Amino acid sequence: MSDTAIIIPMYNEELTIKEVVLELQAKYPDFEIIIVDDGSTDNSYNQAKIKGVWLIKHIVNLGQGAAIQTAIEFAMRKNIKYIITFDGDGQHNADDIKEFIQTLKSGYDIVLGSRFLGKAENIGVLKKYFLKLSRVFTFFSTGIWLTDSHNGFRAINISNPNFILRENRMAHASEIIDLIKELNMKYIEKPCTIRYTNYSLQKGQSISNAIGIIIEYIIGRLTK
Amino acid sequence: MIIVKIFLLFLLTLGFVIFGFSIKLKNFQRLVVIFGYFTLFIFIINPSLSDKVAHFFGIGLGSSLVIYITIGVISLLNIILFVDTKMNKDAITKIVREMGIEHAKKI
Repeated sequence: MSDTAIIIPMYNEELTIKEVVLELQAKYPDFEIIIVDDGSTDNSYNQAKIKGVWLIKHIVNLGQGAAIQTAIEFAMRKNIKYIITFDGDGQHNADDIKEFIQTLKSGYDIVLGSRFLGKAENIGVLKKYFLKLSRVFTFFSTGIWLTDSHNGFRAINISNPNFILRENRMAHASEIIDLIKELNMKYIEKPCTIRYTNYSLQKGQSISNAIGIIIEYIIGRLTK
Repeated sequence: MIIVKIFLLFLLTLGFVIFGFSIKLKNFQRLVVIFGYFTLFIFIINPSLSDKVAHFFGIGLGSSLVIYITIGVISLLNIILFVDTKMNKDAITKIVREMGIEHAKKI
């Protein structure tokens, strides 16, 4: 079994998941692919039944953070050391994975994707500035300055057993930055490409959701 | 006025019974809830008493004292419910995760 896995949290991605996985398999045949179906209500689970893929199902929807943590726990039990978190909606660019994994294996604990060092295709103006503003929030809450603090594309060395995500929903992105500080993880940002399509924009987080995520994150920290 | 009092007492008692018997409380929390219940119960039956107690504490109006106690009790109940919900949510997450991993399969 490979020591590297691509993790895909999936919730109602029946239109894109097959294409995303087939591309990943073609480009990275040596990597394990772990899909966590987070209680999808459409046909995603059947669409994700692709030869060679590890498929895990949450019987109810818990959230992206929970799906990633499930995949991490599963990967740890399979002695997988390196993971890449990859969206199932086709937003991320499979070509970026190679460099991220190489950088991670060169001695980093986590490699964070940055759409502002790379490309953010078709990003809305409001979203762009809101994401930039969120860097300030991240800086004040963790002391870590990033160019893109809420990017779902990242490579992580999961050999530290204390790397545990407790935030079930989208606040896990901020929690990861907290863990970088708490666990003194060696990190680096790398450029990546995020492709905003009509489909991904429809499924993605709105600005109002983002406020909910901030509140969820603050409550999470207070009740930790 | 009697009907309003009966209705309020009914609501207060119902809330107290549901809360007191459906959620596991710590001793301190139980004491606050019991104190809040009986205080509000007495103030509903005898509103003028709240003026005397309020005066004793230098608050002025009895109705203000009732509002303060209510805010305190409701806030505590809110926190207790939040913690209880969070514990349930964490347990559900653990169960769903274990089930998922246990039934994971390579296609």
